[in-house]
Amino acid sequence: MLQLNWFRTYGATYLDALGWTAVTALAASAGALVWGCALFLLRLTGGRWGARGVDAYVQAFRNTPVLLPIYLIYFGFPLIGLPWPAVVCGGLALVLQNGAYISEILRGSYQAIDRVQFDAAKSIGLGPWHTFRKITLPQVLVYSIPSLGNQVVLLLKDTSLLSAISVTELTMQAKLLTEQTGAAYEAFIVVAALYLVLVSGTEVFFRVAHRTVRWR
Amino acid sequence: MNTPTLTLLLQAAGVSLLLALAAIAAGTVAAALLTALAFSRLRPLRFFYRLYVYVVRGTPLLVLALLIFYALPALDLRAGPYLAGVLVLTVYVAALFAEVFRGGVLAIPRPQWESAKSLGVPPGPLLRKIVGPLVLRYALPPYVNVCVMTVKATSVLSIISVWELTLASREIIERTLAVFTVLSVAGVLYFIMCLGIDRIGRRLERRLALRGFAGERV
Amino acid sequence: MIEIRGLTKSFGETRVLRGVDLQVDDGEVLALIGRSGCGKTTLLRCINFLEDYDAGEILLDGQPLWYRSGGGGQRHRVSDAEARRLRQQMGVVFQQYNLFPHMTALENVCLGPRHSQRVSAAEAEELGRRLLARVGLADKVAAYPAQLSGGQQQRVAIARALAMRPKVLLLDEITSALDPELVGEVEDVIRSLLPERIMMILVTHAIGFAREIAHRIAYVADGTIAEIGSPAQLLEQPRDPTLKDFLRRMR
Repeated sequence: MLQLNWFRTYGATYLDALGWTAVTALAASAGALVWGCALFLLRLTGGRWGARGVDAYVQAFRNTPVLLPIYLIYFGFPLIGLPWPAVVCGGLALVLQNGAYISEILRGSYQAIDRVQFDAAKSIGLGPWHTFRKITLPQVLVYSIPSLGNQVVLLLKDTSLLSAISVTELTMQAKLLTEQTGAAYEAFIVVAALYLVLVSGTEVFFRVAHRTVRWR
Repeated sequence: MNTPTLTLLLQAAGVSLLLALAAIAAGTVAAALLTALAFSRLRPLRFFYRLYVYVVRGTPLLVLALLIFYALPALDLRAGPYLAGVLVLTVYVAALFAEVFRGGVLAIPRPQWESAKSLGVPPGPLLRKIVGPLVLRYALPPYVNVCVMTVKATSVLSIISVWELTLASREIIERTLAVFTVLSVAGVLYFIMCLGIDRIGRRLERRLALRGFAGERV
Repeated sequence: MIEIRGLTKSFGETRVLRGVDLQVDDGEVLALIGRSGCGKTTLLRCINFLEDYDAGEILLDGQPLWYRSGGGGQRHRVSDAEARRLRQQMGVVFQQYNLFPHMTALENVCLGPRHSQRVSAAEAEELGRRLLARVGLADKVAAYPAQLSGGQQQRVAIARALAMRPKVLLLDEITSALDPELVGEVEDVIRSLLPERIMMILVTHAIGFAREIAHRIAYVADGTIAEIGSPAQLLEQPRDPTLKDFLRRMR
């Protein structure tokens, strides 16, 4: 039933798909981080309407499944004259979704900074830009590392949904191999194992990163 | 949007909700058993718990779904897509609920264990009258969170041909190309379901809190 | 010299400061005492404009700070940039969480001069080392706040305030949050500053310390200065009945 030289035969195909998964996850994570920071800044500086706008955005993405934005962009963009490749559409959806969660993570970290620090910064004459750059931002980023790690893992798993729009990442590859060879178990168990490796690797990376930058 | 389409979407939303509720019910029961394993005195059982949670949380739901979807016929088990879908969701959600319950148990402050022990309370009533209510109080917010995640997770089942809101939307879009309207309506429906669960959860929290759990003043 | 006239402030419905009048001379050490919630910390924060106030004037060496009177008797607030410039003349030390946790002691002390006073990196570092040595922490320049005791953190905070070469030091209950055995080292540093004759206004519960170093003590009650005088007058022969009560309870 289980063909044990499966990986030797199809190893290369898997690694190709693995590459796609990893690169998409990396790019989408970077994009989501930038977008999350932008949303966070908008909340800080946009006054009452800025904060409300970001809140509405976050609530919308928090309470809807990520397949909806994926379909929206994939099916919708060609209709408005932007026939982008599937992987870009999927990646954009992941950025928009995870950016919402990341902005909430940053907000939590910001609130964890003791208010006295802002008073202290004022008392030594630091202006708003300097306070942000030297006091707020470093602390927000470092406090956020564990939760950001969590979020990146979730994003990594969500790349599997891009198989629904025919992006050849790991899950799509498993489906193709199953159809070609009929060996469902092997195909999917290998893919599951590869995801576990990616997820564990990411978790280790963030744990090490946190330990390195902490000022304990 | 015409009425037949809207009705179709509403029906599909109902299916999503039912799938979610079934998985939540089954998952909670399964999770209670799993949590018992997590605190068992036997090392293999504890290891099984950790392995289960590690695998289920480290693999995408879709991959788990496809694994079970393809595995069932191979084991000669004929099950309709709905049953398979609920099974997949239950396996997934049980891991999440188990971690919530485990967290709830760990959140009980040590002095409370020690008081119970010094009063000599036997294990049965201990669980029912002391541990149970405290875990409920500490675990309720994350529990509600997982419930909301379950509703969103039903959308993944669309990829293994379970007919629910996301699949219904996709079918309509592929037929009519009314991408924005259909997905907006679907989004609103999910939003209402998720927010609804969240609100119910918060009201429950408030009611429990009034009874003076976990040290609040009554 | 600092002059405060008719300072008034409310938080919502509650009137916290009701027309405070006060004058503090150059080189004077003034202690503010009183029960919790009497307004002494708010008063201190208003002096540095960390709290906005509703009415009244605060003048430093005859110049009005924070609000200038425009034409027609209206008052208008100074610009943020101007406020920042004015604040540099005062150094503040808070009760706790003063230091920026992600910077070393030296970086904490040098930050102000570097960015607000545009001192060069080399000069700032030299100043920082000198000040840290002065507060007895020469060997802790590279330590992070988490590696320092509460008393050491407060001493770094004092050094940081001094780095701005302020005319006035505002100290808000700087030993209240410390374990008793660490209070002494901080009080020693304050004592060592007395010869420099910097104006100091300190909010404190440590009556003994206030008696020792203050030229005058002001008892704040109910949003005003109920009684003010030399330590001997105030502590031995209090006139205000609530003050008598307060002192009895502090014994």
